[in-house]
Amino acid sequence: MSDFDQMIVGEEWEGSDLSLLETLDHVLNRGLVIAGEITISVANIDLIFVGLNVMVSSVETAKEVLRKHEATE
Amino acid sequence: MSELAYYVYCIAESTAAAQLPVDSLPAAIEDDSKLEWISVNALAALASQVPRATYSEENLAEHLTDASWTAIRAMRHETVVEYVAKRATVIPLRFGTIYLERAGVEQMLSDKSRELESIIEQLRGREEWGVNVHCDPAVLFSRITSVSPVLRDLVERARQASPGQSYLMQKKIEALKVDEARAAVNRIVDQIEDKLKEQSDDARRLRILKVETTEHGELKAKFAFLVKRAGFEEFRDAAEHLAQEHQNAGVRLELTGPWPVYNFCEGLQN
Repeated sequence: MSDFDQMIVGEEWEGSDLSLLETLDHVLNRGLVIAGEITISVANIDLIFVGLNVMVSSVETAKEVLRKHEATE
Repeated sequence: MSELAYYVYCIAESTAAAQLPVDSLPAAIEDDSKLEWISVNALAALASQVPRATYSEENLAEHLTDASWTAIRAMRHETVVEYVAKRATVIPLRFGTIYLERAGVEQMLSDKSRELESIIEQLRGREEWGVNVHCDPAVLFSRITSVSPVLRDLVERARQASPGQSYLMQKKIEALKVDEARAAVNRIVDQIEDKLKEQSDDARRLRILKVETTEHGELKAKFAFLVKRAGFEEFRDAAEHLAQEHQNAGVRLELTGPWPVYNFCEGLQN
């Protein structure tokens, strides 16, 4: 998954995998919205997030998601 | 046969796109599809074809309720944008930006070229860093008499007062603790925001989707900062300094990044 750093400041400076939720928060909820007649941008992200949270809290499901994701690379 | 649509990931300069041949890029959002650069003059959009039915407005909303479907595609989107952002100045688009025809992407690049070029100029050499502020309420509460100036003052006065007065002041101290703890968190969060603003070019306070309690305490605030690559050491030092300063109050700072600049390229929502 993402190889961005995530660290608690003031403790040992060590990169680790970002939480899935943190990454999804960035990707789904933010970024430039280009309004155009044939452009669709995602709405109702809050609702989706409820689902994602449940999913991410389930370790097995999250692992499965990442395994599938990595298999595509 | 036009059952396909174009999914757009991000926008970069054509010169940068020329340095990033699509064969070297990560996988596209859907299997059996390849990334392609769609160039118009100085700008290039990174896109791939997707089934039009899957990404139509009503069907997409349905798919998005399936967390696994969404997570996999969101991670692919991110992997692509991340790859480009590490090598070029890039405007990341939101997940789910769809054009029915290739010509639509070209039209957008052409119509918005001035704004897009100006955004790229503002972002050049900069990265987004996230700062999450957590607070352990138990730690803060146990230390609140030393953290809050109001309580510190009351404690000092109680010490010097007569036993009767001192008793009443103790009662008042206990009653004030909860409010003072809340005020202390707000004060610390504001200070973190102010200090890190000084070390960055722009800042956004992000909404917290739900109150999360982690091993580091409750998430109290979430910020995004636009930081010059060359100025990151100073930014990190400032964050470390703040973390040490507020450690006693049960506050932890979490730094995440570098992100594609998701939070700093608004301005085209006409």
